[in-house]
Amino acid sequence: MIGIEALTVSFGGVRALDDLSLEMKDDVVGIIGPNGAGKTTLINVLSGFVEPASGAVIAHDHDLLAMKPHARARWGLARSFQKAQIVPDRTVEDHIRVALDFQHLPERDNERVLGRVLEFTGLTEHRRRIGARLNSAERRLTEIARCLASSPKIVLLDEPGGGLSQNETSLLQSLIGAIKQEFGAMVVLIDHDVDLIRAICSHTAVLDFGKLIAFGETEAVFRNEKVKAAYLGG
Amino acid sequence: MAKAFQLLFSRYTLVILACASASMLALPLVLGAIWVKVLTSVTIFAIAAAGTSLVYAQLRLVNLAQVALVGVGGWIMLRLNHGTAFPFEVSLLLSGAGAGLVGMLLAIPAMRMRGLYLALVTLMAAGAFQIIFTAFQFPNGGDGFWGVALQSPGEMRRPLLAPGDEAYLRYTIAVAAICFIIVHLHQETRSGRAWAMIRQSEANAMAAGVDVTVYKVRAFVLAGFLAGIAGGLLAGALKILDSRSFAAGESVLLFAVSVVGGVYGWLGAVIAGLLYRGVPALFNNLGQDADLSLIIFGAALLHAIITAERGLAGQIADAFDGLRRKREETQ
Repeated sequence: MIGIEALTVSFGGVRALDDLSLEMKDDVVGIIGPNGAGKTTLINVLSGFVEPASGAVIAHDHDLLAMKPHARARWGLARSFQKAQIVPDRTVEDHIRVALDFQHLPERDNERVLGRVLEFTGLTEHRRRIGARLNSAERRLTEIARCLASSPKIVLLDEPGGGLSQNETSLLQSLIGAIKQEFGAMVVLIDHDVDLIRAICSHTAVLDFGKLIAFGETEAVFRNEKVKAAYLGG
Repeated sequence: MAKAFQLLFSRYTLVILACASASMLALPLVLGAIWVKVLTSVTIFAIAAAGTSLVYAQLRLVNLAQVALVGVGGWIMLRLNHGTAFPFEVSLLLSGAGAGLVGMLLAIPAMRMRGLYLALVTLMAAGAFQIIFTAFQFPNGGDGFWGVALQSPGEMRRPLLAPGDEAYLRYTIAVAAICFIIVHLHQETRSGRAWAMIRQSEANAMAAGVDVTVYKVRAFVLAGFLAGIAGGLLAGALKILDSRSFAAGESVLLFAVSVVGGVYGWLGAVIAGLLYRGVPALFNNLGQDADLSLIIFGAALLHAIITAERGLAGQIADAFDGLRRKREETQ
């Protein structure tokens, strides 16, 4: 569960998030909105890369804002980026191991978790392939595998479907949908792909100019007139 | 445990050990007295270059104070030699540790700066050490904290295992091999993975749970440690140190030859050592001005930046790969 209370972020004179309050409880929660609505800023506040001017964020009874970014990751807040962050000269296994390095598990357990996330993401045969040789879908999957290796409580995915084909998006959809069941983590998903959001998010929040204009069951949100006007083009 | 064993006896470390063993056996037998000293110096600066390369290759940060840290290591070694009865190896480790601590201080600006600004700050630090070394000189057995006397009354002790120049070259090569293996073990384990994530982006590293401050400091400490070890060995080789050897510009030169040699492995560091100390000695030997080597380094740096990002070591590795592929095709 993530509780956001009166969160405000300003960049100079621009209010990227404006007194945002939101309580996310479901297995997969979607966040949508037009460009510049504040979606990525929200994820950056949750992961500690942007400091809010005011407000509070409580996740599973922990004050997230009191923790440093790396401490949030070690606590169980995993995230991916809009542009997949893959090191060209490091293998898929290295990318996953870096998350395991801070779990302080015995080596046998590391191997078990590594094997499990590789199998879940379908990357087992690419385990020793370096980042430079991965296609865009494999890069996305590697990031997701790294998120899952860190025993996450919450996984924040920032436009994971960007640049993927129809088939790859379908695979991604089934993977994200299975995260809660397989790994026990709540997923917060930002994406422009309305079909993807509709297919896997039980609840969805809509942001516009840093304000929450709708939050609730996904289908109900998409029928909301304000949402249609702001995001779906009437 | 099995993984640690696997790493320690990987192909990479075995190649280092094989090359080091061959050099220890052959070089002192085939080289004359002067070239034994030159090769000792080459090996010492290869250790220092490994530190410069580590920070650049792993974090893409430019540290232009490495030769100043070699001076710090040399100062500590001479101070301990003349002030204590510590065995050479203990003093050597303390020289590394002392320079590592100074390296840690250099990591402070690296928390907020990168690129040209960080390079300039480290160069200024090197300039500060140049002034300190010039003002206070290196200990030579005199009294007091600075330990400087007009006429050197003390003697720099060498390791019990290596009192003569040839044995000292072997000793230096052995220490260099250990240093290269230490660097490799860091690169292939948790530190190397964390550095790789930082290199990609600091946000990416933090999102993976990496404490960026700790791992940046670790890289600078390790680079400083290597410089300190190099300084300690240099003090043992030359017995007295001169402040003119540790001018700020020397660190720029060492960084440049490290890029030319290749920053991604031990071979690049060895080539950097050869360029830094071997080429000027060769010009001297041929009766030419050693500064001619600077022209060659400039051209080589251009070549490396434009066509060979992995340096001469990368080109050598590619040539071997090409030969291997050709042989496989003909079979």
